[in-house]
Amino acid sequence: MKKHANGSGRLPDRQLKSVSYAKWGYFFIIPFFVVYICFTLVPQFLTIYNSFFENYRDGLNEIGPNYVGLDNYETLFTADSSGTIRILKYTSNTMVMWFIGALPQFVIAMLLAIFFTSARLNIKGQGFFKTVIYMPNLIMAAAFSMLFFTLFSRVGPIQALLVEKGWIDASFDFFSHRITVRGMIAMMNFLMWFGNTTIVLMAGIMGIDQSLFESATLDGANAWQVFFRVTLPLLMPIFVYCLITAMIGGIQMFDVPQVLTKGNGAPNETTRTLVMYLNGYLANKNYGMAGAISVIIFIVTGALGGVVYRMLSAQYKDSSRQRRQRKGDVI
Amino acid sequence: MKKVFAILLAALMLLSVVGCAEKTPSTPAATKAPDKPAEQGKVFNIYAWNEEFKGFFEKYYTIPEGVTVNWIINPSDNGVYQQKLDEALRNQDKASADEKIDLFLAEADYIGKYVNSNYTMDVTSFGFQNAPTQYEYTIKAASDDNGVCKGVSFQCCPAAVIYRKSIAMDILGTDDPVEVQAAMDNWEKFDALAAKAKEKGYYMTASFAETFRAFSNNCTKPWVDADNNLQFDPQITAWMDQTENYIKNGYTLTAGIWDTEKTNEMFKAGKTFCFFGPAWYYNFCMNNAMDPENGCVGDWRIVKGPQAYFWGGTWLLAATGSDNTDMLKEIFETFTVNEDVCSKLVSEQNQFPNNTKVVEKFAQDSSYGNTAILDGQNDIAIFAELAKDIKWENHTNYDQLLNEGLQNKLQEFYNGSVDKETAMKNFYNYVKETYANINVPEA
Repeated sequence: MKKHANGSGRLPDRQLKSVSYAKWGYFFIIPFFVVYICFTLVPQFLTIYNSFFENYRDGLNEIGPNYVGLDNYETLFTADSSGTIRILKYTSNTMVMWFIGALPQFVIAMLLAIFFTSARLNIKGQGFFKTVIYMPNLIMAAAFSMLFFTLFSRVGPIQALLVEKGWIDASFDFFSHRITVRGMIAMMNFLMWFGNTTIVLMAGIMGIDQSLFESATLDGANAWQVFFRVTLPLLMPIFVYCLITAMIGGIQMFDVPQVLTKGNGAPNETTRTLVMYLNGYLANKNYGMAGAISVIIFIVTGALGGVVYRMLSAQYKDSSRQRRQRKGDVI
Repeated sequence: MKKVFAILLAALMLLSVVGCAEKTPSTPAATKAPDKPAEQGKVFNIYAWNEEFKGFFEKYYTIPEGVTVNWIINPSDNGVYQQKLDEALRNQDKASADEKIDLFLAEADYIGKYVNSNYTMDVTSFGFQNAPTQYEYTIKAASDDNGVCKGVSFQCCPAAVIYRKSIAMDILGTDDPVEVQAAMDNWEKFDALAAKAKEKGYYMTASFAETFRAFSNNCTKPWVDADNNLQFDPQITAWMDQTENYIKNGYTLTAGIWDTEKTNEMFKAGKTFCFFGPAWYYNFCMNNAMDPENGCVGDWRIVKGPQAYFWGGTWLLAATGSDNTDMLKEIFETFTVNEDVCSKLVSEQNQFPNNTKVVEKFAQDSSYGNTAILDGQNDIAIFAELAKDIKWENHTNYDQLLNEGLQNKLQEFYNGSVDKETAMKNFYNYVKETYANINVPEA
């Protein structure tokens, strides 16, 4: 191994040169690409293709496919009688619900990750805590949603408890107020995902060289300074990864609101997400419209992912450049 | 050594991929259906949306030896059952004999979609003859536009008002069905009674949609006209007006028709006077009333109510391509012409069977009474009168999702989260989304 690392320039070793493990690497990843192309890439292109056709079922009969150009997209962006462009409404619903769930998710996950990895706190029984906070993620989202529905329903225990305490009126309905329904959905997403984020962020923090923290402390940095000047910049790649995957998951939010509101997105469709909209069209196999929505979701996801990535990784690059510059100054 | 290992691993992986690929083409070989028509299949597949018929089937039908019956059950909500069924039917040709659907269940709201397709077959093709004892409308519903019958129903579904005896006593000073009926034999009287109930601290009904079927199954025009325009029958608008009034005055609850909040009202502690339903309602919806601890068995009576109507009904349809036609014939006969089974459906299950002869027998029998819930009142006699008037007309294939959608969207208006205009706009959007071919007034 050491010989190898020293460079083959000095020792012309024919045998070593001929063994290239790289090609085996390619060989091993073939199955993934085959599966990916068959089950993801091809359907993706088919979806785009389908979005240009009128194709749905009337009863058991298939209507179409008839080529209609961009008609499906035009329908999507046409305002209804009250002047609402529904896809925009659902996009903003999705984003709002994701954001109010993701904000506490990242704040708390970051806090926990720091606590758990802190050498100074040295928390005991980490395995237990990590398991517990990850637990909600093991429950099926639909089942979790059903649980919340039962808990907060008009005849559920929460309602009964709050009425008894006199905090809410007996006629109060958690499911007829935008803020409570959205709150429940965000709460569930938060509960399900903060454990996962904590564990990923912890792994990220543990990958940072401990001596950096030590030297920062020795130099007199306080906890805030250590966090903002050492932990965060070095954690940025993992953080960006977490944020982008969470966001993609957020845009595809479906099962929690679907089950909680029985597919209605009540009240007044303010909790209806993009994928619920898509699902509405699939009731009658309307592949044209569903395809068009999918394409929009794809574009939105790509655009947002790109923006977040650029914004945060630019910052990360900036800070590492600054560090390098500072180092240069010292030298 | 490493190289050998690497090659081995790579070969293994490749093999697994090839292995998967090889497996796929081998399946169609098994799909060759036996061509001999006389030979009967060994697997009988039934599609259903709940366990109701399964219970009767397992109890009253003897499965021929060597045949396995598979139940494929998907919930009806949001059209899931229809979606799954449609997919399976469209693949019926390609499915192997043992995977083909033999029998599937369909509800009044969408039966037309299936009987008017080639996915169901003429019952006479396997020797079943509709008997004169079957209710006319059940045959009409299961027949296509040319009158070819594709299946049967094991029940007839005239519906009535099921009320709480003790509450009637409190409001009207009597619990006698004749007098209670006299107090609610039209909608004006029913509304007036609702006000009285409210004064005494009761709800007239427990769901905003409780009376929906009483109106909607008396429509004089279908949901869509010949040009596929959505239209509102005066009966539907009458229901909307009544409900708006009931909600405003607190005569009913904002719960949906299947919600726990509504069914909880059937407990003894419930404050609701009337429930609307046919005979299947007892077993299917009134479990809380029959609860040994908190229920109130025997505190119920049945009357015709303000308007005769029917609600639902489950039809058994023969799927084209079934290789178990003998069994289909037997099942159809068991649940329609077999008087013994039809009698047991009444005496053991409190159902209202699709056999006029059996119905008459129970209706005339002064010793018969429904003891499960009505404390011995002869409900068959009341249902038998109502069943005579049931007509099958003005139905469309879209009824289930339109009825469901209208109720769901209006519920938000009734519980105060949106105004009526917004609720209707949401309904129109929903229709447009669900059925691209229906023209809605303004979306």
